[in-house]
Amino acid sequence: MSSTEAASALELVLPPLTHEDSARSMDRSRVHQARRHHNRRRLLWLLIGPGILAMLGENDGPSMIAYASDGAQYGLGFFVPFIPVLFAMAYVCQEMTMRVGAVTHRGYGELVLQRYGKAWGWFAAGDLTVTNLVTLVAEFVSIRVGMAYFHLGAGVAVALGMALVLFTLSGGRYWRWERIVLGMALFNGLFLAAAILVKPDIGAVANSLDFTPFPGGSFNTLLLLLASTIGATVTPWMIFFQQSASADKGMTPDDVKHGRYDTAAGAVLAGVFGIGALIAGAALVTHSGAGIQGFAGAGFPQALGHVAGGAAGTVFALGLIEAGAVAILTISASTAYAAAECVGVSHSFNSSPQEARLFYAANVALALVAAGVILIPGAPLLKIALNANVLATVLLPVSLVFVVMLANDRGLMGSWVNKRSTNVIGIAVITFVGLCGSAYGIDSFLLATHVIGR
Amino acid sequence: MRASPPNELAELAPPQREDTRDEIIMDLERDQFVAETSRPVAQAPLSAPAIAALWALRVFVIVVSVMVVYTFIDQLH
Repeated sequence: MSSTEAASALELVLPPLTHEDSARSMDRSRVHQARRHHNRRRLLWLLIGPGILAMLGENDGPSMIAYASDGAQYGLGFFVPFIPVLFAMAYVCQEMTMRVGAVTHRGYGELVLQRYGKAWGWFAAGDLTVTNLVTLVAEFVSIRVGMAYFHLGAGVAVALGMALVLFTLSGGRYWRWERIVLGMALFNGLFLAAAILVKPDIGAVANSLDFTPFPGGSFNTLLLLLASTIGATVTPWMIFFQQSASADKGMTPDDVKHGRYDTAAGAVLAGVFGIGALIAGAALVTHSGAGIQGFAGAGFPQALGHVAGGAAGTVFALGLIEAGAVAILTISASTAYAAAECVGVSHSFNSSPQEARLFYAANVALALVAAGVILIPGAPLLKIALNANVLATVLLPVSLVFVVMLANDRGLMGSWVNKRSTNVIGIAVITFVGLCGSAYGIDSFLLATHVIGR
Repeated sequence: MRASPPNELAELAPPQREDTRDEIIMDLERDQFVAETSRPVAQAPLSAPAIAALWALRVFVIVVSVMVVYTFIDQLH
């Protein structure tokens, strides 16, 4: 059979091609070419993206504030080694989502909905929408805090965030969107620069690797720290985002190895930058974390500027703007994927806005609602920001259970199902996250209702 | 067209493609096409204990979420 005949024979059984197929095919063509020519660097360059974006996207405004707050309140100690442990947990979860996306070419929302029933799919999308809305508000707060350091108001923060969303959506190509956001995400390294600028005691950082001293304070405070720090590392939106983005990118089982590199690189970078924020925050430890209280203004960067010099404050403020901006893009994308997948309409950056109206509309709408909240005078922005991670932690176990179920579904995954060791670690992660989140929720409720005393 | 397990037709794909449509066909796996991914996957049979466990987890998570939201509102006052 000649090549033309082969293609013609295939056309007979193939359905009509779409713009999305065409755009994805162009990306895949470059991957196949790099693979044929054994061009390893180019192959890696072409296949990185969803993993780094998920991990660095989660190093968002509230997360970096949570790390810096940990440092400001407790110094180095426990959290320096705890952050890498959490990102190792995140790697296990995200690797599964990448693998499911690459093997099935489908997003998390649609697979849960189709495979396990509509109720579960809609519950998952509902959880995601609630946590994403709260988190997006916190991202705009983060940009506002960074901007306030430069004497710019909430209006500028909103305009910047919305302009970025609209700009990145304007290309009609997944590749373009991914590369723009990836380029922005690398500026998460500003938190490492901030850590260097506060001139930390390297010996103290090294000594903290033994998980000591353990944070003091009340049981509830410890639970809050654990829940918010976990929520700063593994969240429902990351699960939706990486699986859908891996499918949208056109990854296949042949790319799983590079998907693992991508996810691992993201975890390492996010861990290093997160520790950077912690170390920068630890410069405020002698001030009892006083700067955090001015979060709704330019409190944290300003306090850091006073203690460690204007450059440290400036870099930290810029870092907060970057962290918020990147997270607005990735979190909006995860909402858009979930909404369009559950409704069953086009859900790809490779589709035009005319072809994927709901996908683009959801992307913009949630960001717009969140932007509106921070313009409300007197809105409790600080409390919203600090509770965003906790809510995500509480809702996370259900999402993780379905990730493990999908990754073990032999009907979908064939030989790519989880290994036994992955399942053991995955179940341990779900148990740990579930215990920390629910313990904080229950303990706080009992305190708030005065069933137990402080 | 590529397929997860390499198929006969994919192996016949030439290095030089004759037109854009052929290129699209050759560069994507069969189950990557929009028309294929638009078809829902079959529903997996879940055992009664599995369904019960999922509902128990779901109810528990909602209850704890309500507690977190209540605490949040309480803190506002």
